[in-house]
Amino acid sequence: MSQDLRILTAWWGEPGTVWITRYIQTGGYKGLRKALTMTPQEVIDEVKASGLRGRGGAGFPTGVKWSFVPQDTGKPTYLVANFDESEPGTYNNRELVERDPHQFLEGVIIASYAVQCHTAFIYTRGEFLFPGRVLERAIAEAHDAGFLGKDILKSGYQLDLVLHRGAGAYICGEETALLSSLEGYRGQPRLRPPFPAVEGLYASPTAINNVETLCNVPHILVNGAKWFAGIGTEKSPGTKIFSVSGKVNLPGNFEAPMGTPARVVIEEMAGGILDGKRLKAWTPGGSSTPFLTEEHLDVGLDFESIAEAGSLLGTGALMVTDERDCMVRVCQRLLQFYAHESCGKCTPCREGTWWVTRMLARVEEGFGRPEDLPLLGEIGDNILFKAFCALADGAVSPITSTLKYFRDEYEEHIRLGLCPFTEPRAQRLRAVGEPPPEPSEPEPAPIPLSEILR
Amino acid sequence: MPVLSAELRADAERILARYPDGRERSAIMPLLYLVQSVEGRVTREGLKEVADLLGLKTAEVEAVASFYTMLRLRPTGRYVVSVCTNLACALRGATEVYAKAREVLGPGSEDVTEDGSFTLHEEECLGACDAAPVVQVNFANYDRTTPEGIVALIDALGRGEPPAPSRGAFPGEFTKASRILAGLEPETGR
Amino acid sequence: MSPSEPAEAVTLTIDGKEVTVPPGTLIIRAAEQLGIEIPRFCDHPLLEPIGACRQCYVEVEGQRKLFTSCTTTVAQGMAVHSQNTSEEARTAQVANLEFLLLNHPLDCPICDRGGECPLQDQALEFGPGESRYREPKRVFAKPLPLSPLVALDRERCVLCARCTRFCDQISGDRFIELFARGAGEQVAIAAGEDFRSPFSGNTIQICPVGALTATPYRFVARPFDLSTVDTVCSHCSAGCNVRLDMRRGEIVRVLARDNRDVNDAWTCDKGRFAFRFADGGDRLTTPLIRERGLEPASFAEVLGRVAEWSRGRRVAFLTGGRLMDEDYFALSKLARTVFGTNDLDHRRNFHGGMAEETEAAAAMRVTYQDVERAGAILLVDLDAEQEVPILHLRIRKAAARGADVFVIHPRRTRLWDVAEHVACRPGQEASVLEEVLEGSDRGSPLARIRAALRQAATSAVVLAGAGLAEHPLGPDLALRLAGKFGARFAMVPRRAGDRGALRAGVHPTLLPGGRRLSVDAERAEVEAVWGSLPNTSAGRNTRQILEACAGRQLDVLVMVGVDPLRDFPDAALALRALDNVPYKVVQALDLGNLRPFADAALPAAASMEKDGHLTDWEGRAQRIRPIRPPAGLSRPDWEIFGTLALAMGGDLGFETLDRLRQEMAGLLEPREPAERSTAWVDTDRPQWLDDLTLFTYPLLVDEGRLSQGATELKAALEEEPFLEVHPDDAEKRKVVDGGLARVRTDAGEVVLPVRVTEGVAQGAMFVPFNQPGLAANTLLSGRFTAAATVEPADPGDGA
Repeated sequence: MSQDLRILTAWWGEPGTVWITRYIQTGGYKGLRKALTMTPQEVIDEVKASGLRGRGGAGFPTGVKWSFVPQDTGKPTYLVANFDESEPGTYNNRELVERDPHQFLEGVIIASYAVQCHTAFIYTRGEFLFPGRVLERAIAEAHDAGFLGKDILKSGYQLDLVLHRGAGAYICGEETALLSSLEGYRGQPRLRPPFPAVEGLYASPTAINNVETLCNVPHILVNGAKWFAGIGTEKSPGTKIFSVSGKVNLPGNFEAPMGTPARVVIEEMAGGILDGKRLKAWTPGGSSTPFLTEEHLDVGLDFESIAEAGSLLGTGALMVTDERDCMVRVCQRLLQFYAHESCGKCTPCREGTWWVTRMLARVEEGFGRPEDLPLLGEIGDNILFKAFCALADGAVSPITSTLKYFRDEYEEHIRLGLCPFTEPRAQRLRAVGEPPPEPSEPEPAPIPLSEILR
Repeated sequence: MPVLSAELRADAERILARYPDGRERSAIMPLLYLVQSVEGRVTREGLKEVADLLGLKTAEVEAVASFYTMLRLRPTGRYVVSVCTNLACALRGATEVYAKAREVLGPGSEDVTEDGSFTLHEEECLGACDAAPVVQVNFANYDRTTPEGIVALIDALGRGEPPAPSRGAFPGEFTKASRILAGLEPETGR
Repeated sequence: MSPSEPAEAVTLTIDGKEVTVPPGTLIIRAAEQLGIEIPRFCDHPLLEPIGACRQCYVEVEGQRKLFTSCTTTVAQGMAVHSQNTSEEARTAQVANLEFLLLNHPLDCPICDRGGECPLQDQALEFGPGESRYREPKRVFAKPLPLSPLVALDRERCVLCARCTRFCDQISGDRFIELFARGAGEQVAIAAGEDFRSPFSGNTIQICPVGALTATPYRFVARPFDLSTVDTVCSHCSAGCNVRLDMRRGEIVRVLARDNRDVNDAWTCDKGRFAFRFADGGDRLTTPLIRERGLEPASFAEVLGRVAEWSRGRRVAFLTGGRLMDEDYFALSKLARTVFGTNDLDHRRNFHGGMAEETEAAAAMRVTYQDVERAGAILLVDLDAEQEVPILHLRIRKAAARGADVFVIHPRRTRLWDVAEHVACRPGQEASVLEEVLEGSDRGSPLARIRAALRQAATSAVVLAGAGLAEHPLGPDLALRLAGKFGARFAMVPRRAGDRGALRAGVHPTLLPGGRRLSVDAERAEVEAVWGSLPNTSAGRNTRQILEACAGRQLDVLVMVGVDPLRDFPDAALALRALDNVPYKVVQALDLGNLRPFADAALPAAASMEKDGHLTDWEGRAQRIRPIRPPAGLSRPDWEIFGTLALAMGGDLGFETLDRLRQEMAGLLEPREPAERSTAWVDTDRPQWLDDLTLFTYPLLVDEGRLSQGATELKAALEEEPFLEVHPDDAEKRKVVDGGLARVRTDAGEVVLPVRVTEGVAQGAMFVPFNQPGLAANTLLSGRFTAAATVEPADPGDGA
């Protein structure tokens, strides 16, 4: 299997990649030209046949998703590109846009044509100020070149593209929360059914796709479904851009066929572990996917193999820790993230992440009790599949996987009354089970917002 | 004095025009960025003016504004320094970078420093983990920061000489960055 | 599934018991039909499902994950297990309860909700005895006043969003919202604003914990301290089913009861918080007779004197729409059979035609359900939010279900966000209605009304407020308009007893059941029960009675639960009447303004001290029940009438309430009135010249008798007097928003703060009828409208 196959990242690093002239010179917008000679249904069928699966985490077949968008409702249909990339460890969408924005725009335009949408939105993460500016420029270029607006390439097809910036909320990557946010509400997820395909944006049929997913679409149109299906594994065709970060020598985005073993990505592409240390744990797809360990390094990075290994491919973001890292601290920091990003709507997520964050901080500082460990597992069970959306399930991943593979580290913290990874060791020694001291200053109260402006 | 002058009201109209008829509520976030671009934060008056523009109650607008971290309801510095301390950055020393920044800027800098220059923000993952630890100033990225690096960065900002970000141009002060986020300074290319 | 095709019912089992329900039913509702209660906090049957609290988990056979029963609809053959038969569901519920209690302050002993709190009940039933939470709890400043009526305790809140959804989906008054996110998420109000909604109290009642509390009830009572009674609100004609809670003889709380045919599960803040009106220090507790001053006397003595004054003399009866059906029936019979007079009226003012009233008195013409299911609703001169608030909520519900709603009114009403308003200068309603009825234009608002009524046909509803009766043609024209399109029509009276009084025939020309005095056959039906009526000539209406008193054509004026000085739209005439009629008898809760005039006073029992019925605007008679005995020597009005009859040597024949009801039931059975011509003669149409038209009606919360003592309610919702003027008129007359203006009519003048607003019709000016320091009837001459001038005034002129 070739590990050198670069499709989406083929032009990265070349000069002038962001400009439309370069994009067109290297074959860009051919996929769109081709698509416009086909019926929307034929475009959907082609993408269906390619087996392309969503790269945002869930892996749902893209063509099937589009085919769920009804055309007979009397309402407009919408396409929303989800560029709210916020999953910790994940940064391939950002680089795809920063380095080759027109590849993404072409995917957006083809997808819009397939679902017969005339107003498409790119929901861009607010913190992505620079990528947003790259998109602004690229959209202007595409308009000037006749790929957007009225009568695209004289086909009669019309599409307006609206760049919409978020304002700082991880949850808006969840598609129904994204829709709430785009409609001008708090970014809280909504009940499904109705599914966005049927009642999405403005209660109209809506397709929502991830940036990397859409970037694949022009290539499928140009090279054909069969070509695409031949790359990667049978059930997970195509390439995937793996974002590698943490304790590796060469962190970065690496495109490789689906099914490439993790060892190849971590040890060859990302240059192996920093300072020659030993790998301790890695996530296959961002912080919401359970940690795997050394023993899983030969698992292929595709939806099925990773699931078999007990985790999820997610966004393909490999965060790597080594033998020096405290997994209790790692877990605590991730839970702090979920508590910060919980939208507050449902009880298990709002309260559960709050609880675990505080409890883990206590354990990590050496004030844990033996009964905390079974309780931690139980809280995880009580959150898993009980919350309104998958954010909370993601929060459970670090809990259960660190408890599974690194229980001894938790036990050490409790036994020693300190973090075995933090120097100096002797300072906080105390008897096991001794209650933690009263906090010297009271927990700061959450700011009562309604009083801020009084 | 209203927050939005006649000129800014014209900007507001441009923002509203981006969205389909009858869906003007979608403009709430860019409109909040617009009022933030005037006073460096979203004030009570700003909330009310956005509410009036959209035919909403003020509470409906504040409910939205208070949900998102980039909309600042509290006093805010000219430079918002965001240090990512999420896992990928923490594994590369972000905790020390943040601690250093806090030490330099002093207690209370999570709101705003006394001279009104800085707001320090402990940030979640900024999606640039290959460049960890990542710092943003007014949402412009500074890659692979160190404790020494953040001190130098803060010094330079204090002198009004923001160094070039790792990608793109420096967006200017927080008000200016907010205006960009409102989509009112579009890059049109070439 | 489209609503037009009848859908197959769905059969499923819950805990092994089979139940068949319509498709689309939520599991939690299907379980309720089996008597299986699944715990819940966020679920409320009248709010859209949200699935936020996650308490109502159930297991569905064949499914990997648990389902929230409040968001999952039933499916054919589904096998559901509640916590009763599923260990997994029970475990999930217990775990969720633990989450909810983590940050809860557990201050039940000092919480108003303690003892009737769903969270407390569930924690007691299956919560763990001891918390496993060892970390610091979340703290908030508390209580946070959202208004003078509502206090918020954010630590107790479980963020179920019932209150915010109520404001969003039911009242549309979106004053409170969820702010922030995650563990910092909280119910909040915009800085510097008050929760100024007349429905705010409903959020307190549906709060499943003690997060929202009512200021008047804070720390007042424990559930086990209370005696309660299920009754009906007496504040307006909405007929809200309520529960009164009493502690040591004082009403301390009013709660809405569920009744989908009437008030759904809601009541307005006036109904909820104005409950001290019968506990004032000036309550009449004994009969009084004027000797040197007003002195206590026995009923026998006072009624004997009244009989003495009345025998062989000219007596008239005025009442004000605040009594119950039985009282009015007895009064109607008393006046006609014992005093031989038809000079009796319950209406403050009425200039309309007869047809509408005879219809309304005969049967229920429009119901809440008709409104809810209407395809189109036209309101004429009805400010539903202020006049009959619960009807307003039902209209909003209809609008949310797709009804086209139109309002013809001189002011923009609170339905502005769901209805199209046609601003209409007072006095011009008839021409507007004529235009709807006969016009042929297209594209105008009136044409849209016509088209919507035509399309909705029999599902259309036309509702008119009392203001329309100002116009002699108004009510009958509206009736004819409805008739043309096949719509249903009703006049919506304001007060709780108005419809009951009309049905009982407390009216100069109508007998019980809308039978006309002047029509022999109809009169005969009444005479068959009451015996032949000594007097068959039409009586005087309220205005004519007052004029007759002023002109010394009457000898005795009996005022039952009415204060003409404050209620009648001509304060000067009312005063002349009282000054000139020789004998004034007052039967009421207290004497109020009438103290200097009363020659005899008869203490009446208050609504919460009486057993009987109130007929709401629909025509639906509902039972009211006493929670305590009448104060002092006071007695129900019907009983006083019976005793007065005996004193006069007559006999109403009602020794007991049951006897009265039997007779009443016979005469008030719904009937189809005979075909009547609704032809009219166009007379008396007011002609306004260069003046503006002043109009007035009472706002929901004002200085009205029944709001006495409701200090928190008034602090929250009562407005200071004001004058509303259209910008064009303001400009011409140089009055400015926020400034003062002098309003002058033939009857009087007043200086008021000005509100310049496009929410009032051009050519019209609005003043509220009865605000602190302003009795608008001093500006009126017999109508609720008057020609008026307006000019700027100096602050020194005073309001």
